[in-house]
Amino acid sequence: MPEQTPPMPVQTLQTQPGTSPTRPATLPAPSAAGALTTYSTLLRWTLSQIGAMLPLIIVVQALLAAGIIVGFGFLIPDIDPATALFLSTGAPTVLLLTLGLVMVPQGVARARTDGTFHYMRSMPVWRPLLLAADLTVWLIVALPSVAVAVLVAFWRYDITLSLDWPVLISATVLVTVTAAAVGYAIAVTLPPLLAQLVTQVLVFFVLLFSPITFPLEQLPHWFQAVHEWLPAAPGADLVRAGLASDTFAASGRDLLVLGAWCVGGLAVSLRALVRRG
Amino acid sequence: MTDAILEVVGLTRRFGTVVANDDVTLRVRPGDVVGLLGHNGAGKTTLVNQLVGLLRPDAGTIRVGDADAVEDPAAARRHVALQPQAQAPIDGLTPRRAIELSGRIRGLSARDARAAATALAEEFDLGPWLDRRALPEGGVLSGGIRRLTSFAMAVAAPMPLLVLDEPTNDIDASRRRLLWDAVRRRGDEGSGVLVVTHNVAEAERVVDDLVVLHHGRVVASGSPARLRGTQDSDLRLDLQLQPDGQDPSTAANPTGPGTSPSVTIRRQVRAGRRVLLTVPAEEAAAAVTWATSLRDEERIDGFSLGPVTLEDTYLALTADPKPRPDAIEREPETSEEEPAHA
Repeated sequence: MPEQTPPMPVQTLQTQPGTSPTRPATLPAPSAAGALTTYSTLLRWTLSQIGAMLPLIIVVQALLAAGIIVGFGFLIPDIDPATALFLSTGAPTVLLLTLGLVMVPQGVARARTDGTFHYMRSMPVWRPLLLAADLTVWLIVALPSVAVAVLVAFWRYDITLSLDWPVLISATVLVTVTAAAVGYAIAVTLPPLLAQLVTQVLVFFVLLFSPITFPLEQLPHWFQAVHEWLPAAPGADLVRAGLASDTFAASGRDLLVLGAWCVGGLAVSLRALVRRG
Repeated sequence: MTDAILEVVGLTRRFGTVVANDDVTLRVRPGDVVGLLGHNGAGKTTLVNQLVGLLRPDAGTIRVGDADAVEDPAAARRHVALQPQAQAPIDGLTPRRAIELSGRIRGLSARDARAAATALAEEFDLGPWLDRRALPEGGVLSGGIRRLTSFAMAVAAPMPLLVLDEPTNDIDASRRRLLWDAVRRRGDEGSGVLVVTHNVAEAERVVDDLVVLHHGRVVASGSPARLRGTQDSDLRLDLQLQPDGQDPSTAANPTGPGTSPSVTIRRQVRAGRRVLLTVPAEEAAAAVTWATSLRDEERIDGFSLGPVTLEDTYLALTADPKPRPDAIEREPETSEEEPAHA
């Protein structure tokens, strides 16, 4: 057994010269809560804040999913099964990206204005845990939308899926975390109004100009080259490979590009959480 | 070797050309309640944000316990609980839950956090609101209850250093008293407490020391008695002016027309429609006579004579030599009066 250090009170209770014996001793700093406790406490805190809105968010996600699948279907009158499958398996990615790039920045912007961001950062909390708890909440909000999109697709086009669960789950989580991290990074880096503008542009870009609900080949060559380095197409490929593994496959490059965006978004967000003005 | 839990030395922080904190030095010892006074924009919140590592100082040092808050803000944060000026983020939470979560994050066990919430609810008479959920649109929990909850969150776990930024905002008079008592109690239990406030009169009752910040600089510090300076030899004559009424004390010298003041005015401070005059105690009778005649002549609405308070000192210390909106009002009056004396 290593020798124990004498307990603090013995030292501090002794009267020192020039010190009043009634002066209280310094209180010990409380031992920091464990990482897991802190994480789960932050998670409960953030979930409670979203609280009553959660069902509504899920309903809106469902409506968006229906909107994409049914609405895009109108654009293509005599949709063949292959196109329907492509559209349907792309819809979840559109939802996940929209959530990450629009709702997350809005949430973060609100937290910055109402003081939540400031408050949380003033507490003795390891910064990555703050980000982890926030991302977890967005993950909880996002995941039902995948199921909702797939259900709507079943109902509308009677598609046949071949689920590869491990790929599907990891792809969905990676796409969500990437989108949320990038959205978070935008919100903590740019002034609120500019962040809002950027996210508006991004959602437009994701919906109409990203090869998620249509094949990459339909874009001009130069734009295809651009998309090779953006997260949208790789994310869509990965989720698609999880939903219809018989028809679609994803490449290691998809994983690398998406991973790089994820790490980049996390790094910028973390830096903003740690940084002092 | 220092026994302070908070030691700030030479702290300077600029925002562009504005010097928000200018060579600020202050210390808080365990068990001490130190009031940080200052007008809006005096640099109080900037100082607080540097203590918890949300802002980086341009110069100076901050020690919190044995941690260097500038080099290692994370270590400093483990010693300090902050009640920020803005409301704590408790939407969707009940006060009970908010206090428990805050306690958990500061290292309390689930059981201790529950006990802390119950005890604090008792201390602040929060009972009826304890299990009501705060909603973003307000209504259920008033601003005052939210502020008390925010205070309770900061003190959920005993901390070596408490930093309270305007804790009494929005709180009604009776609960303000509870809150000040609670602040004092935290000090007596061993926490060092730094209370940022502009509520001078209330702070005076509980603080051990005061630091007055003005335009980012410490213009005075010390115990309330020391800052009051005049001790028991002086009195405060508080003249309540009429709307648009002129300050009669600018004419209160023996040659002033229409007055008979054989009253020595040691200090004169204008606060809105009040003029606070520090007069020697032995001239109390003369002062009352003079003030009574002013009232009879309807030059003032009323007056009171009492012991000098810290508020007088504070107002005198932070009276701005440069023209500021509240001071500008006074300028024309003075210049109008002056030819009469010449």
